[in-house]
Amino acid sequence: MFMKSCFSKPLLSFLGSLLVVAGLAWAAMAVDVVFSGDALAQTRGAVPGNVQGSANDSDMWRRLRRGEGFVISDPRTGTVVAIQSSGEEWRAFRNGPLSTYGGWLLAVSALAIGAFYVLMGRLNIDGGPTGRWLPRFTNAERVIHWYVAATFIMLAVSGLTILFGKQVLMPLIGQKAFSVVASAFLQGHNLFGPLFIVGIVAMFIIYLKDNFLKAADIKWLMMGGLFSKSHPPSWKFNFGEKAWFWLAVITGAILSVSGIILDFPSLLGERSQLQLALLFHAGAAVIVIAAAIAHIYLGTIGVEGALEGMTAGRVDENWAKQHHDLWAEEVMAEQATTEDGPAHPPANAGPQPAPGE
Amino acid sequence: MTFLELTEGPLWYAAATIFVVGVVWQIVGIVLLGRKPDRSVPRGSALAGAVKANVLHLWPHGGFFNKTGFHLVAGYIFHIGLFVLVLFAAPHIVFIQDHITGFGWGALPRWGFVLAAEAAFCGLILLWARRIGDPVIRLLSTQDDLAGLWLTFIVMLTGCLALGESIEFLRALHMLTVDIWLIYFPFSRLMHGFTFVFSRGYMGATFGRRGVTP
Repeated sequence: MFMKSCFSKPLLSFLGSLLVVAGLAWAAMAVDVVFSGDALAQTRGAVPGNVQGSANDSDMWRRLRRGEGFVISDPRTGTVVAIQSSGEEWRAFRNGPLSTYGGWLLAVSALAIGAFYVLMGRLNIDGGPTGRWLPRFTNAERVIHWYVAATFIMLAVSGLTILFGKQVLMPLIGQKAFSVVASAFLQGHNLFGPLFIVGIVAMFIIYLKDNFLKAADIKWLMMGGLFSKSHPPSWKFNFGEKAWFWLAVITGAILSVSGIILDFPSLLGERSQLQLALLFHAGAAVIVIAAAIAHIYLGTIGVEGALEGMTAGRVDENWAKQHHDLWAEEVMAEQATTEDGPAHPPANAGPQPAPGE
Repeated sequence: MTFLELTEGPLWYAAATIFVVGVVWQIVGIVLLGRKPDRSVPRGSALAGAVKANVLHLWPHGGFFNKTGFHLVAGYIFHIGLFVLVLFAAPHIVFIQDHITGFGWGALPRWGFVLAAEAAFCGLILLWARRIGDPVIRLLSTQDDLAGLWLTFIVMLTGCLALGESIEFLRALHMLTVDIWLIYFPFSRLMHGFTFVFSRGYMGATFGRRGVTP
């Protein structure tokens, strides 16, 4: 009675038809499965054809991120790793924190130098130049200094363009011009790198003897160094100059080793090691360039009479007493033993300046 | 006409012509200067003295090495590197074949090419460092010396920047600097590339005539 009231004849006919169609479809599938039993055994229920259609997208991407191997359509790449996830992370670090903090470090260095100039002004020679000269750097010391300086500047300019060019230069000159500049500077950077290595090794050997830490260096530091109103004691190089030397040597070593790895990638062969080498390379470069800004400032416009030491090989007697008193006393004592005395220029100090120069 | 076609076409031919005519003109001028007649009885051959001087002075003798050793080594490193670079780098050989000789020769492998470039740059930078770092050399140096040095450096630098050989503009830029260098060459100290034979020969002939080994 209840059945008769709920299901009318047309509805029962419709449901019956559905049951027939479903039954036929089920039978067809059963026949297909029976006749394609091999495929079922090979794919274990996944979509045949070795595609990822039956896998969950999240699972697939997770596996890609882990660097798992896949069958890829282009065997020329020589690897089955579809996405090198560590490369993506490396790129993010290189274009993110490394570029950002590196850029800030360079900006802070430049600003600090500007602030130093505003606060201290140019450090002039106390009492003015005497016209009497003391030999400061030999020909070999000067030549190797300028050699390293020249290669360093070329590497710094090209390296900074490679590191920051996309963010700084490309918006200014456009993509096409930047691609030309980047390509050119990359070639230049790779070629000048080995020249710098030769120079930094020679510089280390030549300058090492005067750059060991001495008690006077600590006193120089404790008295405030360059910020001191008095003249802290110093030998041929003060604490700041020695710190610069060791920083240049240590970063130079890092740059050299990592640079060789990057210049000759087949030496290591591991991509992750190359990525690490590049991070060390860029990090050390930014640090030494930031320090070099201070060195260049102090060696040129920051301290009166300093540049002559590296161009002519000699410094004024008052300059020597003011900045390197212990060394000046030593040199003057040596000269006093000769019959010429300190009033005459040393043999390797070059010609005397013309009157009024 | 593209920038590259200009620098490798009309500009190149103009520069090469000025170079050749200029060098010949300078050399002929020097030879025509002649020298004062020497009425003394010769004690030796002037010609042999000239040849000896050119050969012997390829290497310093006596106690001079200490004074000239750096200049000598850096000079040889630079010049040998430069000649190897110019004559045995694959792109240069192709250019010489296409524009000058009509035939080519075996090129260095890329590593040899790069090594020659490293040597040339190393020598040139060392010579520059000496020129500005040695007070005596700096005093003797003229604007011409520095211009020649810098121009040579720029030619090498633009060549180095074009090492990728993938961007036409960089190749054209290198060619432009080469053209400028060729035009500047005959009228500058760069002429020492030819005149050193004459200056050494003149000195050697003078000594040779006196019976002294130059």
